[in-house]
Amino acid sequence: MTSMDVQIRKTAKKYLDEGKVSCVIGYERDSRGRVRPAFIEKPEDADHLIWSSECSLNLVTYLHQRKLSPGKDQPVPKTAVVVRPCDVRAVNLLFAEEQIKRENIKLIGLTCAGTEINGQQRINCKFCQERVPVIYDVLIESDQPIEIPTDKDIYADLEEMESWTAEERLAFWTKEFDRCIRCYACRQACPGCYCFECVAEQVDPHWTSIALDKPEKMFFHVMRAYHLAGRCVGCDACEAACPMDIPLSKLNRKIAKEILDMFDYRTGDTPEDAPLLTCFNPDERLRT
Amino acid sequence: MKVLTQKKLNAWLANLLQTTVVAAPVEAQGKLVYRKIDEVSQIVLDFERTDMSPKTWLFPMTEPILFIEQGVETKLKEPPKPEPIVLFGVRPCDARSLLAFDALFLDKAPEDPQYARHRESTTLVGLSCPQMWESCFCTAVGGAPNSTDGLDILLTQIEEGYAVEVLTEKGKKISANLVFEEKKTSLPDPKLIQGLPSLSKTDEWMALFNDLYWEQLSNSCLSCRACSFVCPTCRCFDVRDELTAIKPGLKKFERLRAWDTCTASGYRRIAGGHNPRDSQKKRLRNRFFCKFMFYPDDFGPLGCVGCGRCIDVCPAGIDILEVIANVEKMTEREKVGG
Amino acid sequence: MPDATKSATRPNMERATELTLPNLATITEIRDLATNIKLIQVQLDDLDVRKKFTYTPGQFVEISVFGVGESPFGLASSSDRGSKIDFAVSRVGTVTDALFRLDVGDQIGMRGPLGNGFPMEEFKGKNILVLGGGIGGAPLRPIIQTIFDNREDYGTVTILWAARSPDLLVFTEEYDEWCAQPDVEMYLTVDNAPEGWEHEEGLITALIEKINPSPKNTITVTCGPPIMIKFTMMTLEKLGFQPKQNWVTLEAKMKCGIGKCGRCNLGEVYICTDGPVFCFENVQGFLESFV
Repeated sequence: MTSMDVQIRKTAKKYLDEGKVSCVIGYERDSRGRVRPAFIEKPEDADHLIWSSECSLNLVTYLHQRKLSPGKDQPVPKTAVVVRPCDVRAVNLLFAEEQIKRENIKLIGLTCAGTEINGQQRINCKFCQERVPVIYDVLIESDQPIEIPTDKDIYADLEEMESWTAEERLAFWTKEFDRCIRCYACRQACPGCYCFECVAEQVDPHWTSIALDKPEKMFFHVMRAYHLAGRCVGCDACEAACPMDIPLSKLNRKIAKEILDMFDYRTGDTPEDAPLLTCFNPDERLRT
Repeated sequence: MKVLTQKKLNAWLANLLQTTVVAAPVEAQGKLVYRKIDEVSQIVLDFERTDMSPKTWLFPMTEPILFIEQGVETKLKEPPKPEPIVLFGVRPCDARSLLAFDALFLDKAPEDPQYARHRESTTLVGLSCPQMWESCFCTAVGGAPNSTDGLDILLTQIEEGYAVEVLTEKGKKISANLVFEEKKTSLPDPKLIQGLPSLSKTDEWMALFNDLYWEQLSNSCLSCRACSFVCPTCRCFDVRDELTAIKPGLKKFERLRAWDTCTASGYRRIAGGHNPRDSQKKRLRNRFFCKFMFYPDDFGPLGCVGCGRCIDVCPAGIDILEVIANVEKMTEREKVGG
Repeated sequence: MPDATKSATRPNMERATELTLPNLATITEIRDLATNIKLIQVQLDDLDVRKKFTYTPGQFVEISVFGVGESPFGLASSSDRGSKIDFAVSRVGTVTDALFRLDVGDQIGMRGPLGNGFPMEEFKGKNILVLGGGIGGAPLRPIIQTIFDNREDYGTVTILWAARSPDLLVFTEEYDEWCAQPDVEMYLTVDNAPEGWEHEEGLITALIEKINPSPKNTITVTCGPPIMIKFTMMTLEKLGFQPKQNWVTLEAKMKCGIGKCGRCNLGEVYICTDGPVFCFENVQGFLESFV
């Protein structure tokens, strides 16, 4: 048990005891020792909460289950959620898109040295320059010093891919998506994907085939990447969720890099940011 | 006991490849899946469990079940009979999933014609497990690492090569030219995982249908499809007509069926909007009840073979073995009197 | 231990294609039944199939608009009355929208008959209470037709038809013919009655209570939206009807129609093969609610 575990538990207990929230979403270990999401509703259960470098799922996606009133004349539930610096950008995105209200959320922010998928540090973590969430209600700091790199290009890993020709890139992605089983785990794990009925599943209009193993499935990924342009916060939850270990973050990070280059914009910097591609800002200019 | 050396096995497979399609575990970008092989050297046999189950060969992810031509007349055509195939290197748990498929798709009238065609054309050669691996629980659901259910031939790795059990007429047919050595040793017992929970009976599951446990469990479910798609026994499917060609005066369609899952939010939504399974709790609960109560009550076999793939892939850490253990605990609590 | 060799034998293919391969049928008539509801009448093209195609009230068919899709529809006419087959279509989705654009002479596909039907033999000698909500009246029409074609075999017939408004009542042009039969009473009710409406106003449950039918020797058959079925059953119980006297037909998204794809399952029950007709006594025992 680390000092962060202790503080997270204390904070959760306090919020629940004081009735500030009806649920605290955090991380816990299952009977096999693996990390999984925890939904704490009673103060005494707060002792399940932990934090470690294995906590790689973005919990913000669970806020979509708790953003509406459960019934007639019932209030929207209040929720506390444990957030890493990348997660909290997703929260800002949801504020900007008016999906959740600030007063219904308590953010338990964590300083973070990076998390892992299958023992390997996530790409976003390698190049992350934040380590401290941009907004929070409570900040729980690690007792280990966290270095904040300032001189790294946050998209350095894309250099290789950018040096390829269009044909080489197509060949690469065709090969990667060959093993996709269209399980939509990437979409479901993503905090930015919350459409009631996804375009990939609509019958009317019939945008895309239901075929799971034909090349059409690449359409789903490319379309999803486009729908996340200017919205993806780089949490890599999609890649963490993928059962076939497809390097999805490469696609989304490439688009995020384009957005940064073109508009000098990183998603989720502040709660007041308007969504980039849906709001026309007369002052914006293409960076040349 | 009949024995084949590795060399003889390779020769046999190479021979089979001359006359029939062979699908076996191969590596595809770091994942193990069952694909058609061109050479015996492509086969990977040193594995615990493949990432996708071989059910894809009997119940493909996507397949047309009808071809439609609309011109001056409307013409309907059924898909052709698939070519015979030998599915090689099937683990006993995956082979047992055929019991579940056969019970619904063949034994319960009317037969599913497409599945029946695949089933008839496929011969299964299994590879028994020397031990149970992490996440495995085949013994908790009536299976075993060396079970012969659903297989036509079972191979067990031994020092000299492979012990061979020919189990069915189909198995005899493809092994007719093999000359085995006879050895007097007996096969080693596979190493089992001890202390697995015991599966509660269907009526015990029924008593727990409205328990709060399902609500708590489903909080973390993302309603994706990862568990259903890696599962060797899941069989729900969607059907849709799709355009394949359009020329002046002629349109061609195929009626496709594709894997679907009861965990998807829109699964039970009817035109008009009504959705009886509108909450995650109802959907996830249905998944477990279908496997351990509805399916066996309706068709006989369990809807789970204990392969453990869902445990490995679930992004939200939902563990089917933990569910079985919790149901066992809750059942005991009920028995003792709350 | 199940026999591994059992399924290796040659499966019986003939039976399979009977219900899985669509039969071509041509549209012989289309008429407006109510607002956004049409009655489509078809006749099977193949004469052999046409001769063999008989069904009981309550069964359904899967209709294909080729290239668009397939949807289930309750059969809305008695097969004893000839080879022309009626079904009612409410425009709510892709396939129904495509059906609305078809004309007399167009071809569709039909798979069936699927599901189970009402046990008309068991109903003989009993009084029948027919409760239809909206387009739910369509699958009940074959019951009415069968009873009138064999009038002496059945007791009194009381028909309660409900809809949200008068323009949503189905088969209005047949009511006089029905009421002309001996021992038949018919009542209509709408949620919103316009000026000049001569019948009842309110939900069907209120009408049932008002009529106060006797449960003695009576069978009820109900078809309508799930919520209507739920409250109708509660009202009937209040009036002394036992669940085993009440028969319902349930709706679900049915794709394969033969109990394989899992889409229509309600717990252990597959609506397409164990139903869609159920005795309410059984429905009460379902683990999952149909509402």
